[in-house]
Amino acid sequence: MSDDAVFEFLHSELINYIISQNEGKSKEGKDEDLSNIEYIGFSTGYRIIERLTKEMPRFKDELDTMKFICTDFWSALYKKQIDNLRTNHQGVYVLQDNSFRFLTKLSSGKQYLEVAPRFVAFTCGIIRGSLANLGIGCLVTAEVQNMPSCKFHIQVQRT
Amino acid sequence: MTVYNIYIFDKSGILLYYNEWNRLKQSGMTREEEGKLMYGMLFSIKSFVSKISPTDTKEGFLYYKTSKYTLHFLETPSGLKFVLNTDNNAQGVRELLQQIYSQVFVEYVVKNPLAKLSEPIQSELFKTKLDTFIKQSPVYLTKAL
Repeated sequence: MSDDAVFEFLHSELINYIISQNEGKSKEGKDEDLSNIEYIGFSTGYRIIERLTKEMPRFKDELDTMKFICTDFWSALYKKQIDNLRTNHQGVYVLQDNSFRFLTKLSSGKQYLEVAPRFVAFTCGIIRGSLANLGIGCLVTAEVQNMPSCKFHIQVQRT
Repeated sequence: MTVYNIYIFDKSGILLYYNEWNRLKQSGMTREEEGKLMYGMLFSIKSFVSKISPTDTKEGFLYYKTSKYTLHFLETPSGLKFVLNTDNNAQGVRELLQQIYSQVFVEYVVKNPLAKLSEPIQSELFKTKLDTFIKQSPVYLTKAL
């Protein structure tokens, strides 16, 4: 029961730590620190997907994988499912979460909008890592317009 | 049954939050001074109550009542002090204060990574949630009697 709280606190401290590390380095390190957090998310996602899907059969196609991410994966991590999945069938997917867990406690609306990217970087990494281990290389970005809802853009890299 | 106003102090006496709904008379001093006065009073009453008590105190100071209003007090183990002024007909205020702490303060201030716990609360979300919470509780009525 208290796992939720522990995860949230750990996540916020992780972000505070990375930000404070970069305050010492340079003023424009804003983009850099997020990549550190994103990488942490990447390795976490890479491993966690192994654990979550160990009993499951292979996915039929990419769309099926995406649906899995939206339902089971998201519920395992954030206790809810993705509210909206859109795709253009050409390798671009948009996942929308209307009350993203790390943002619900921050604000509802526009306050603190500038710092929202820090909190979604970890999750972008998790998605990227999980898809990488499932054999789908991709690029994940996030967009926050109105807290606490948040959109993740996944661009699959076709070789 | 109405709620007049609320004060939240941290363990070093800093006023973290103040809000009023129905205050009919101002005290004539600035908010800062009023906060310090309130904190000083709470500190003295708590120690007075425990010293004079003829038996073992369990909870200590809970509330004081005048002919016009009642001041309710809750102190958490971490030293946070919640003060709520209501009229004399209010029931179940102790639970209300407990719920304000657990459902509003902890959720939206403690879990807010941007909120420092020794500074006044800036989060708009907290203010909205607290407002909604108080207004929907049975203790609050819009008509001040």
